Amino acid sequence: MAVRAQFENSNEVGVFSLLTNSYAVVAVGASENFYSVFEAELQDVIPICHATIAGTRLVGRLAVGNKNGLLVPTTTTDQELQHLRNTLPDSVKIQRIEERLSALGNVICCNDHVALVHPDLERETEEILADVLGVEVFRQTVADNVLTGSYMALSNQGGIVHPKTSVRDQDELSSLLQVPLVAGSVNRGSSVVGAGMVVNDWLAITGLDTTATELSVIESVFRLGEMAPGGASAGVNKESIVESFY
Amino acid sequence: MKTTWKDIAPVPTSQEFLDIVLSRTQRQLPTQIRAGFKISRIRGFYTRKVKYTQETFGEKFTSILDGFPRLQDIHPFHKDLMNTLYDADHFRIALGQVSTAKHLIETVSRDYVRLIKYAQSLFQCKQLKRAALGRMATICRRLKDPLVYLEQVRQHLGRLPSIDPNTRTLLICGYPNVGKSSFLRSITRADVDVQPYAFTTKSLFVGHFDYKYLRFQAIDTPGILDHPLEEMNTIEMQSITAVAHLRSAILYFMDLSEQCGYSVGDQIKLFHSIKPLFANKIVYIVVNKIDVRRPEDLEPEYQEQLQEILKSGDVEMLEVSCTTTEGVTTVKNAACDKLLAERVAQKLKSGTSNSGANPGGRLGDVLSRIHVAQPLGGVQRETFIPEAVKNLKKYDKSDPNRKRLERDIEEENGGAGVYNFDMHRDYTLADDEWKHDKIPEVWNGKNIYDFVDPDIESKLAALEEEEEKLEADGYYESDESVEDAEDADIRMKADLIREKRVLMRNEAKMRKSLKNRAAIPRSAKSKKLSEMETALDSAGYDVDTVGARARSQSQPRGRTTTRSEPGNDDAMDLDDPRQAIARAKSRARSQAATNRRDDGVTDTTARTKAERLYKLGQKKMNRMARQGEADRHTTVSLAKHLFAGKRGMGKTQRR
Repeated sequence: MAVRAQFENSNEVGVFSLLTNSYAVVAVGASENFYSVFEAELQDVIPICHATIAGTRLVGRLAVGNKNGLLVPTTTTDQELQHLRNTLPDSVKIQRIEERLSALGNVICCNDHVALVHPDLERETEEILADVLGVEVFRQTVADNVLTGSYMALSNQGGIVHPKTSVRDQDELSSLLQVPLVAGSVNRGSSVVGAGMVVNDWLAITGLDTTATELSVIESVFRLGEMAPGGASAGVNKESIVESFY
Repeated sequence: MKTTWKDIAPVPTSQEFLDIVLSRTQRQLPTQIRAGFKISRIRGFYTRKVKYTQETFGEKFTSILDGFPRLQDIHPFHKDLMNTLYDADHFRIALGQVSTAKHLIETVSRDYVRLIKYAQSLFQCKQLKRAALGRMATICRRLKDPLVYLEQVRQHLGRLPSIDPNTRTLLICGYPNVGKSSFLRSITRADVDVQPYAFTTKSLFVGHFDYKYLRFQAIDTPGILDHPLEEMNTIEMQSITAVAHLRSAILYFMDLSEQCGYSVGDQIKLFHSIKPLFANKIVYIVVNKIDVRRPEDLEPEYQEQLQEILKSGDVEMLEVSCTTTEGVTTVKNAACDKLLAERVAQKLKSGTSNSGANPGGRLGDVLSRIHVAQPLGGVQRETFIPEAVKNLKKYDKSDPNRKRLERDIEEENGGAGVYNFDMHRDYTLADDEWKHDKIPEVWNGKNIYDFVDPDIESKLAALEEEEEKLEADGYYESDESVEDAEDADIRMKADLIREKRVLMRNEAKMRKSLKNRAAIPRSAKSKKLSEMETALDSAGYDVDTVGARARSQSQPRGRTTTRSEPGNDDAMDLDDPRQAIARAKSRARSQAATNRRDDGVTDTTARTKAERLYKLGQKKMNRMARQGEADRHTTVSLAKHLFAGKRGMGKTQRR
């Protein structure tokens, strides 16, 4: 299931929200429209939390999390932390970390098993990451960009990377993550896939500008909805795509 | 690349051409000329006429020459097709004649302009102009046939189908009447005429269809008869041109039922004779009309011949019936798939460098976008999809029993900007009543959360236990009450002292307050005599003498009772030598004119020093461009009405 949404006229859904397999965090907006998109799709399966991080609405970029836990930057206020703690289930560990690169969502990309992080991340953060989120941590770049969290969207079933990632890099990352990967875009050609969408194992929410083609790529690589497991549908179009674009 | 020529401007006939050019000359140029004008003016007038006519001719001819395609510049397919249809030589000659005419007219114009320069009268000039235009008209009139031919070509070109020689193409060919056009009709929406006689299709027809999201063109060709190329007519040559030049999948249609009037043997022979044209192309033999006769029912000798064709492996046989539409899609898909595969293979080959490395550039970009990287190693990543997701009903806006969303609640409560949602609603706490407990962020200057302790419950319990223990031990029943009484006494006294102090302070304040009068020093204040007397009396002095003295010294009011002293200002002026001296002394003495810059400067060293100091003093002022006293300054001068008080009603605002 992949749906399109918009946060106050912005397509960067991944900036204003965070979606995992056990909870979702949504920025506090002027109206409830964005929140209700999550509400309608998730329907009490997992809790959805209205939150701010460090007084900003950029929850998706500042915080990072998965099924097991949530990491928030050092700028998060005590009250916000308490609010998150009160709202999220007790099984989710919440940890505030001291890290120079405080936009954790930009520098860390993770699913429930693996995390790709910015090469300059501190060692302590790496350890906390492994402990709280329960993931293996790899220092990597995506298409020569250090912001792995911005240029990559990842779930346990697949991932989308920056559209200019070379085939060799894709293969390497895929072997590291052990999930199928494709190079793709969201929001009508935007390369910041991590910021343009949020995804978990059964739902993806993308910006409103996302084209049908982009959406179909997303559905097939993340195996959402009725799409057959990835590869089959991609193979059919390969010839057509080469023929029409080259 | 250009594939259609629908936009060529119409070519007028030679007569129309003349009319257009001459009437334009007439309309665009001045017509009034008199014999009495200066001769240079008359010459200029006629030179202009001749030149303008020539320019118009040139312009028109150029537009014709540019409008038609140049055979050497277009795709070989179009070139050959035009050659077949219009005869390239004829076409070239016609255009050549137009071009020659243009040059001739230029020459004529040049000659006559030169002659007009030497004309001596209006009459001479006019005759020369007439001659020039007449010769131009003759040249134009000679173009009658080429112009008519070009117009015909233009009309025909405009009606040619737009065939892109480089795109994905299925080419349908075969004997006349074997069902080529009906196949085109069944796979595309092209409205091709289908009739049960030979050569219904006399030219190329194009239809388009989509397959795998790609646009394909299918070209229906006129039927071909099996005879040498030289004997073929225009209609057949079109087919041959298409077969020869288009990069396509060729569907060679055969009719085994021989309803078309040609035997199977002839059809196989034709295939062999045009086979050289099929080099490097995908070829299918499509057996049509299988509802009448299938290849299995064929005579053994023909079957053998067919098998021989298929044996080489690069030709495949497909079966189709256009009347029952059996196999139509199969044929289409098979042909398209193979064509597509070959085109893609070729593209990949051309895009890949010789070293066999990964393709870079644009092809690399495309390939990296469609590549699905599959992990090596085969670890299955576990997914965590809650059971509830599987039987989740899709949210439907029109469902009356749908979940009430926050948005609905917002709408009911006045919409965005009015409604504030409850952030505490979803708290999961031990007691629901705690949800809305107010916890301040800062309490007595201390951040609450710095004091939050995960063990607070146990610590509280320990404290309470200790307290209970103390109470039980009777710790609180000791003689602390005595001390308390003492303390209370002290505290009470202190309070009294403080209160008294405050009262005194207030009193002094009241006393000293000026009550809106000016502050006058005490020594300057006048005191009443009675006050002094009271004060002295209270201090134990005798007040009588003091009072008498004070009264005697006080100034009485009213007129004085004594004569004024002489020497006062009011007295008469008398000459007095002492006074004169005093006056002379008091007068300012006139001074000798001195240069104040040199005044007090003893020698040159002192002078330089003084100058240096002077400059130093000026330095800051100069540096900051401050205005000094030496600067000329004009004060603001206001117009009289701006400062004089003459104003009428309601002019105050305007000043």
